[in-house]
Amino acid sequence: MSLIWTSILMPVVGAALVAIASPRLSKWISLLATLGSLAALALFAFEFPAWNNGQHHPLEPGSAWLAAAGIRLSVGFDTVSLLLALLTAFLMPLCIIGSFTAVTERVREYYGWFLLLGASIILAFAARDAILFYVGYEFTLVPMTILIGVYGGTERRIAAVKMFVYTFLGSMFMLAAIIYVAWEQRVSSGAWSFDIDALTATAVRLPASAQYWLFASLMIGFAVKVPLFPLHTWLPLAHDQAPTAGSVILASAMLKLGTYGNYRFALPMAPAGGAELMVVVAVLSIIAIIYASLICWVQTDAKKLIAYSSVAHLGLCMLGLFALNPVGAEGAVFYMVNHGLSTGALFLCIGMFYERYHTKDTDVLGGLAKKMPVWASFMVLFTFASIGLPGLNGFIGEFLCLGGTFIAEHDGQSGYPGLLGPRFAVIAGLGLIMAAMYLLILLGKIVWGPLREPHHDAAHDHSTAHSSLPRDLSAREILVLTPLAIACIWLGVQPQPMLKAIEPCATRMLANYPDEVRRLKEREALAVSEDAVSPGVVSASTAGGVP
Amino acid sequence: MSAEFTIPQAVVAPELAWIGWALLLPLLSAALCAVCAAARLPGKLPAFITVLALAASFVIVVRAYNAYTGPVQVPIFEWMSFAWGDGRFQQFTAPCALYIDSLTLFWMLFVTGLGTLIALYASEYMETEKGAGYARFFFGISIFLFAMGSLVMGDNLVMLYLGWEGVGLASYLLIGFDYQRPAAVAAAKKAFIMNRIGDLGLALGIFMLWANYGTLQYSQLFQAMNAGGQTVVDWDISLIPFLLMLGAFGKSAQFPLFTWLPDAMEGPTPVSALIHAATMVTAGVFLIARMYPFFALHPDALATVAWIGGGTALLAATIGMAQYDIKRVFAYSTISQLGYMFLGLGVGTTFGACYHTFTHAFFKALLFLTAGAIMHGFAGQLDLRKLSGLRHIPGWRLVSWTMFIGCLWLAAFPYTAAFFSKDAILLKALTSSRWDFVFLGWMGLFTAALTAYYTFRVWFRVCCGPVHFEPAADGHHGDAAHDAHDAHDAHNAHGHGNPPKAKAAHGFHPHAPKWAISTVLFLLAVGTIAAGFPAYNEAFAHGVNWAQQMIAGSSAAAGAQVVAHAAEGSGDHHTVLGMEAHTGLLVVGATASIGGILVAAWLHLMSRASADALRRALMGNVFTRWLPVCMERKWFFDEIYHGLFRLPLWLGSQVLHFGDKHFLDGVLVDGIARIPIAAGKLFRPLYGGALQGYAVSMVAGVALVLAWMAWVWLRGFE
Repeated sequence: MSLIWTSILMPVVGAALVAIASPRLSKWISLLATLGSLAALALFAFEFPAWNNGQHHPLEPGSAWLAAAGIRLSVGFDTVSLLLALLTAFLMPLCIIGSFTAVTERVREYYGWFLLLGASIILAFAARDAILFYVGYEFTLVPMTILIGVYGGTERRIAAVKMFVYTFLGSMFMLAAIIYVAWEQRVSSGAWSFDIDALTATAVRLPASAQYWLFASLMIGFAVKVPLFPLHTWLPLAHDQAPTAGSVILASAMLKLGTYGNYRFALPMAPAGGAELMVVVAVLSIIAIIYASLICWVQTDAKKLIAYSSVAHLGLCMLGLFALNPVGAEGAVFYMVNHGLSTGALFLCIGMFYERYHTKDTDVLGGLAKKMPVWASFMVLFTFASIGLPGLNGFIGEFLCLGGTFIAEHDGQSGYPGLLGPRFAVIAGLGLIMAAMYLLILLGKIVWGPLREPHHDAAHDHSTAHSSLPRDLSAREILVLTPLAIACIWLGVQPQPMLKAIEPCATRMLANYPDEVRRLKEREALAVSEDAVSPGVVSASTAGGVP
Repeated sequence: MSAEFTIPQAVVAPELAWIGWALLLPLLSAALCAVCAAARLPGKLPAFITVLALAASFVIVVRAYNAYTGPVQVPIFEWMSFAWGDGRFQQFTAPCALYIDSLTLFWMLFVTGLGTLIALYASEYMETEKGAGYARFFFGISIFLFAMGSLVMGDNLVMLYLGWEGVGLASYLLIGFDYQRPAAVAAAKKAFIMNRIGDLGLALGIFMLWANYGTLQYSQLFQAMNAGGQTVVDWDISLIPFLLMLGAFGKSAQFPLFTWLPDAMEGPTPVSALIHAATMVTAGVFLIARMYPFFALHPDALATVAWIGGGTALLAATIGMAQYDIKRVFAYSTISQLGYMFLGLGVGTTFGACYHTFTHAFFKALLFLTAGAIMHGFAGQLDLRKLSGLRHIPGWRLVSWTMFIGCLWLAAFPYTAAFFSKDAILLKALTSSRWDFVFLGWMGLFTAALTAYYTFRVWFRVCCGPVHFEPAADGHHGDAAHDAHDAHDAHNAHGHGNPPKAKAAHGFHPHAPKWAISTVLFLLAVGTIAAGFPAYNEAFAHGVNWAQQMIAGSSAAAGAQVVAHAAEGSGDHHTVLGMEAHTGLLVVGATASIGGILVAAWLHLMSRASADALRRALMGNVFTRWLPVCMERKWFFDEIYHGLFRLPLWLGSQVLHFGDKHFLDGVLVDGIARIPIAAGKLFRPLYGGALQGYAVSMVAGVALVLAWMAWVWLRGFE
């Protein structure tokens, strides 16, 4: 069995074992299972031959699953999906260690579902078959709904149901689009196949108007997951209610399924649609940046603040992706990984003080640096990683996303004409200032300032509930945060290998865009010169800010 | 750019990689300080490590200076580089490498030199914080020196940006050093955010440069400028200088982004001296000097710099005149002096601007450190109304007289170093062919008089007159914790006019500085005086000005020439007030400086009562009241910014927050979600059961999608 399947099935086997093991043993089993999964994936990455050519590995399709329908169990990674799968596998054991004290009831179910969540995310990243991807993509919802609905806060039911229904409805559009392309594929080749490459090859040959609708429905599915304004309202609630580890995986890995979906499906499959709709998506991304940043500013709930900051950050990531040039695409992919690291770490940090004080309200709690200096040091580091301080990981992606957007207008030189340009970069750049504002306000409240503790809990706390937790971080908690801190610094100082590895994938994804965008520009120039009433589609994108 | 100022082409010199240690050592020291903090080592080890590392990097810079023959490019490792084609615009290259020319060395010499001295000073100044806080402080200092090194020595604009934001981080951490005081936390936040506004301008400028020239490495950018600066792409390159300018104004606290610097004085005094006076705030000057050729891309770019600089100099001077906190006076004087530097850059003398940066770094660091010594000794007292006659107190003579030197230099007293460096700027302005530059020159002279006045207001108040002092009552500036036993009865301390002998009754004994602080003050005073030698060499020995030589060999060469003496017959015969330009400026400048000092002497030494009477008279009259009030309240800039930007944005955010929760989520999303639930209720008789709502919603969803697909199909995709 291949290393990929090992890394997917290891957590599944772990989940099965957890179901029959004792609660005390279950956390160790799940830790072992996730470490095994990470080790398998790391081994695979070590031997990965396709780091620098943008190809998938392994290339050969897997065995048939539902042979009649052409669905195959085929898995394989290219650099981008491998990086995201590695991110997921890297975070899983950390989340499990981080949950040791946080989860005290229904422990076995917790770890069982958590392992299944990890497995399904890795499956979605690894899938080379669209249906297999869909299975992984959708199955993540089940464990996540249970993690939120059972282990969450006071509004956990509403949060879980809203997340489930919202994302499920979104993915219906995506599934419809995939089936439609598969149908076209069957019409042209005579046999069913859901192989992503085959589907892509079919889809790019579709007429432009079909691609337009194809792109739109894929985009709706993935936009809910990203989430893109105005489809984001399920996220803050889900984050607010989810247990810490659930939030970490939700923000770091699950949301990346949305951006990854754009990278893998929407953009390469429907270049004509992407070219026409990119201004719309870019405008929504920019609105997401500004809108979410402003809301962050007045948030008093630390977790909701980070949740909204994810909306803003991923807005920038989407903007970079839709700059449709290698710089923006590289930045976006880099940002996917690094947003996962820094935001996941921030959620872990917040979870750590939540376990001690049972509040995330920044009006009640504050000045923790005095009491928890070690925690405060980590918190400051991850906050600055999230702000995008150069030298830490967040900067690379942010800078390239913005830079890619800025130069997207500039034609002919880079080989990738675009429609976005400096105006988009300037507005999105305001998000940089606002990110510093809301994150430093958060720091100023909970880390710095005079010590403020919730009174009713403080007395209670020391006597009974969590006497097991020390005042500052325990060795276990430091063990959780240290790998993340190292990753944040390392990727900030040495992004070069990763950038080099992403580059061929980025150009591969964008293969059809230069021509499409040029065609679009010509058509628009024609429409302008004839001063004719242009058809609805074109005028819509013209209205979106195209010169 | 005209061809006569060709920027020398850099040579790639991998063998000079040892210079990289000047960057690496502070970083190592930061790591070691972090280890000290984690291990909670109680001793002075972090200070020892930091001073050693900084001194070593100073030595490295000196060695690099000795070995310097021409601009070099020193590759270290690949940082962010990738390519998707072979074309010039089909790659992004930002290696970790050094670009070393004489401008770099000029800056690094005083940055590392002053960094070492101030770290040594801080080893004593911060001793009350020994433990994790002490290590944290030196961690910040080390990070700062690393970032500043990257800013100055970086080979490309991305490395400059790394340093640019890195010094912002160090500044944030150090202003907020005393993190339990809300004022310090707020000041730190404000500094970082206001800097970020400028940083955005810088980032956009960088993108613009990249889009037009296809490179961010200085050597290639300068090559493009040498070749005439023509770009292949028809973009509006004239925006570049304005974007870069915005970054410079943020970092160097110029109008309109200056309000963070006075608040930054909440940080420990060595930080104010090093970061917020001598080095970090000069980064803006460095940026413009470094990118000077690009400021010719728009005819009004340099004029804008000149106007902003001259205006800020005057504005800050008026505010500085009315402050009572010694550190705040010095903070405004820093803004004002930085204004002069920008004025110099704007009117076209990079030499004047850079030389003034150099002299200013010394005397301003000296002034801040004397203020720090006073704070350290007097339990955090910095109010110049509550300190008097320090030079008569035993043990404070060194502080008083080094402060006197600093004040003379800041006041640009004739034949001090600052007098020459300021003259270079004003002379260029006054002899300009543009009337507005001449006007700015006279404005600068007026500002010089104000500067002399407020500088000596401090010195005459604090160091002269009858002996009298009150320790601060609170733990102001984080210094006073150890003095709490001294200051316990300070709240019932005597009033303003009590006889000096009364102090004994309170049992407060100011403790005079010990060896580290004294040594550093002495060395800095020597450095302050020595900073004038390049100018003396030129003025009296008819030699060359070393600073001018350094600038002339760099990217700022276009503004490095000095205004020629008429006697040397270069053909340009400039006059000031009918006299030969140099002589004229000597007379006018000396008059301004000495006049300001004399006014200060009258109001604050000989007849302090008349100063109070003047203030009372101004405040008593309805028509003049606005003047002192506005000056004391820094012309209400904080309030204006709050009302113009912060408050509307905050209100808007609240509205969005409410709308997001109650409209977008509450009405739209939940409303749509209710449709299938209502449908489920409709069909409940058919099925029954709890999960119906969701099942129906799924079915309805699928049906909707199918209907939509059918519709698309039927329309035939058109």
